[in-house]
Amino acid sequence: MSEATTWNRIQSSPGTMVGIAIVLLHATVAFLAPWIAPYEATSIVGFPMLPIGTPDFLLGTDNIGRDYLSRLMMGGRTSMFVALVAISGSMAGASFLAISAAYLGGHYDDFVMRIVDTMLAIPGILFVALIVTGFGRSEAVLIFAIGFSYMPGAIRVIRSHALTIVPLGYVQAARLRGMSVFRIFLRELLPNCIEIITVEFALRMSSSILAVSALSFLGLGISPPTPDWGLMIAEAVKTIYAAPMLVLLPSLLISTLVVGLNLASDGLANAMGLDAARGLN
Amino acid sequence: MLMALVRRLTLSFLILFMVAVFVFVATEVLPGDAIDVYLSADDLAVMSDADIEEMRQRFGLDRPAWVRFWEWFSGAIFGDLGKTLIDGNDIVDLIWHPLLNSVILGAIITAFTLPTAFIIGSITGYKRGSRTDGAVSTLTLVGYSIPDFVIGNVLIILFAVWLAFFPAVILVFSNASTSELLAVSLLPALTVIIGHVAHQSRLLRAGFIETMNSEFVERARLSGLPEKWVVFRHALPASIIPMLNSLALYISGLLAGLVVVERVFGYPGLGRELIEAVARREVNVVQGITFWSASFIIFMNLLADFAIIALDPRVRSAKSA
Repeated sequence: MSEATTWNRIQSSPGTMVGIAIVLLHATVAFLAPWIAPYEATSIVGFPMLPIGTPDFLLGTDNIGRDYLSRLMMGGRTSMFVALVAISGSMAGASFLAISAAYLGGHYDDFVMRIVDTMLAIPGILFVALIVTGFGRSEAVLIFAIGFSYMPGAIRVIRSHALTIVPLGYVQAARLRGMSVFRIFLRELLPNCIEIITVEFALRMSSSILAVSALSFLGLGISPPTPDWGLMIAEAVKTIYAAPMLVLLPSLLISTLVVGLNLASDGLANAMGLDAARGLN
Repeated sequence: MLMALVRRLTLSFLILFMVAVFVFVATEVLPGDAIDVYLSADDLAVMSDADIEEMRQRFGLDRPAWVRFWEWFSGAIFGDLGKTLIDGNDIVDLIWHPLLNSVILGAIITAFTLPTAFIIGSITGYKRGSRTDGAVSTLTLVGYSIPDFVIGNVLIILFAVWLAFFPAVILVFSNASTSELLAVSLLPALTVIIGHVAHQSRLLRAGFIETMNSEFVERARLSGLPEKWVVFRHALPASIIPMLNSLALYISGLLAGLVVVERVFGYPGLGRELIEAVARREVNVVQGITFWSASFIIFMNLLADFAIIALDPRVRSAKSA
């Protein structure tokens, strides 16, 4: 399918365009936050628990007097960064393992798939908990744990797509021409799996942002004082009776970001003739 | 067919063993060993090397890794997960009641989620492209996009803060009676159900659409069977298969959901125990919970595989061939 028709289909679906707009808006704010946030997000600048609409503090302050608007603006950056790095690495590794397993087959394929089965039997949240218990909380640990736990599912999906490409004429022709395994991988197989890899990337991006914020909420993810929506919610829950808005505002932001990402990736999958729901295994 | 069953069974045991190796190795490669987790910097400052060596022997950490692995693994599959590092309590005793509580909550959620998702998924799948489908699909997308902890907290704000129907935080002991637990599990269950119904109904919708487009449904239609018969007798049973195939993911997701809501509502379950164990760096407890959960998933997957073999004639013949 050519680039043009995919893009046309994306454009003709209003849901997808809304999704892309939401994601772009979030990404822009996150990117510009250090310059446009009115205050330093980690420093105490006013009285604690000021209500929304206080002059100089548009969205009030949190329980120790940090500007809430600044914290909200900065609060998506770390989870977006962690998710982006983790999923990029994860998809690169998964693509390599999945396509090579599909092409080479045999014991190598068996070996990779048994590892995948093993990983799929371990619930992601427990895997992360195990890693965090041992290595402590840090962004690097989080990136590793998230990236690793998203690999097996992606390997399954990409491999089953690659298996349909391996027997095709042009791959066999390349092999008969004496093209090296490495070149066949790079020139014939990878380009023909790029659509499914893109969709996997988009789907897992949104799911990993959910995961990072849930882990931060649970105290297994990003650690304070870094401003983060999940952490901010965990913090604000302590004062939920006095100031429910402190819970609701970050909740709204994390939810809109994930809704946007899912709308966009769903539309992307549809435009490429894939079903997003089927890609989620 | 018998061969297919035996093959699945052997594979399940292999995977169980590999999970055990993985869980064990993951904690083995950690920087330092249980002693370093157990002792604080202050302890280390006053203890001599001989003291530490003596402790290492007491914990049995001086023996080779494979001996300790075998001891742990043979205990774990027969229901003994060893002792906690800090106070030496039996891990199974520690997690038993929370485990049961989580099973109750998980069962309530599943009993609600699967039938509801089945109905929504098949209706939207059947009426694909219609206005109903569009509206419901958008709703389910939003439903599974909103994090569990957001839904939970919004429910708390709605029902506990603004309306004051429920207390926000549950105060029951982990060995509370079932009826007591049922009473407090309403909001936690609802929280997880919202996201899971949304996700599962999308899966079922996709499966249903795929089956409706498949050759055997086409044949059934062409042979003049009434539409109702085609849908209920042919399409629906087959569209359960993708759902069964992703059972491991459903359980993983359910577990993640439970961990989150137990934290949000203070429900005395396994998830809460897990988070506390991580905070205390009780590697053994996390290890045990992980291994048992994985074993449960492997077992359920095996059942699902048997169900698929029974449901799908194509798999039946392909696997036994």
